[in-house]
Amino acid sequence: MSLKTEVMLHTASLRRYALVLTRDPTAADDLVQETLLKAIDKADTWQPGTNLRPWLFRIMHNTHVSEWRRAKTRSDAAPDLPEPVVPDHQHTQLELKQVLQALDQLPEAQRKPIILIALREMSYAEAARTLDVPLGTFMSRLGRGREALRQIVSGLGKGKLAVLNRKGRI
Amino acid sequence: MTQDTTSEPDLGLDDDLMAYVDGSLSAEKMTEIEARLARDPEARAAIASWRHHDNLIRQMAQTADDLPVNMRISALERELVARLRARKRRAFLMGPALGRIAASVVLFAAGWGAHGLFGSAMQMTRADYPQFVSASVTGHQAIRQASLQQAEFHADDLDAALDWMSAQMQRKIDSPKLERLGYDVESARLLETETGPLAIFHFRNSDGERVTVSITPHAPDQADYKLRVVRMDKDSMAYWTDAGLDYLVIGDVDAGRITTLAAAVRE
Repeated sequence: MSLKTEVMLHTASLRRYALVLTRDPTAADDLVQETLLKAIDKADTWQPGTNLRPWLFRIMHNTHVSEWRRAKTRSDAAPDLPEPVVPDHQHTQLELKQVLQALDQLPEAQRKPIILIALREMSYAEAARTLDVPLGTFMSRLGRGREALRQIVSGLGKGKLAVLNRKGRI
Repeated sequence: MTQDTTSEPDLGLDDDLMAYVDGSLSAEKMTEIEARLARDPEARAAIASWRHHDNLIRQMAQTADDLPVNMRISALERELVARLRARKRRAFLMGPALGRIAASVVLFAAGWGAHGLFGSAMQMTRADYPQFVSASVTGHQAIRQASLQQAEFHADDLDAALDWMSAQMQRKIDSPKLERLGYDVESARLLETETGPLAIFHFRNSDGERVTVSITPHAPDQADYKLRVVRMDKDSMAYWTDAGLDYLVIGDVDAGRITTLAAAVRE
């Protein structure tokens, strides 16, 4: 695979990851642009022969963390989440919204492993390298995060889905 | 003293369950986990939820593929590719790869020294073939005899290698396209021969068949070589001139196969 093809594939992956992180297409593209700018600036830190994907994702991860800490935009935007674009089905939309809200309640250290693995574009080892943590730590955060997400969604679901069920809307 | 034997295990800390959800278990382990799930409703419910949440997150992520093309991102991609190519080139010139190139020249010299041996085995004489053919055949035989460890550029370094080769040969050198015939490039070398630079690409298919392709500038005082296919002892080869470059394809295959490979290189 040529370097050009590789970079294009990874940029598409970065865009997907950024969309889940930011929940907003414009903010996602801004994050991707910022990541690419930093990657250009740090090109000399990339070791030829090593996988580009974790290197790029690590830059995006650090960019997102620093921007989030500075502006705290994600938490401010949370109550006004845009409706997810994909699923037309109302039930699925609600489920997705609940999962995203539940993700927001998780610590950053658990949220990112869940998202990275959900994208199915990285192995555990690559994702751990992306987040600069040992594999054991990564697995523990992924597992605890998934289980915490399940518990939170389960609590949310009992409320909102029950209301919709009562209204006969799903 | 009593012990709480009813406390549930922390499912989230079970790496096997995680790997099951993510499809990274061996078939044997997968069967074992499925048997366990059949009798453990709590684990079954957890797995269904984790998988469902993953699917929802991934579906949302994939909507990014439908976003309009962002011209600024495209421009930054191009700039990044250029910077990374430059990085590879620099790393190659500054790093151990340069040592590998030097080694290749030594190897070539050794190969050339052994040319008489190989040449006699193949019943070749310098009078039969152009000089670049003899040199290439020697390189091919040398790499076969010396095995894989002599590779100068790995496949990952190929972009940088091609850039560097092109600069050395003062013309654009592209990697021969043999992938669709099932051959993957394993390594590439640039040799300094008596007649000038000689780029050599080594390929291998899943059956272990080796094919070598060499490219060198055509000597201006020589007429172009028309395509010629030659069957030798174990190997077949094809050589020709095209657009100021001499090409050779050689491999331990029959004449028909070497003709197909040559056609792929000529495309």
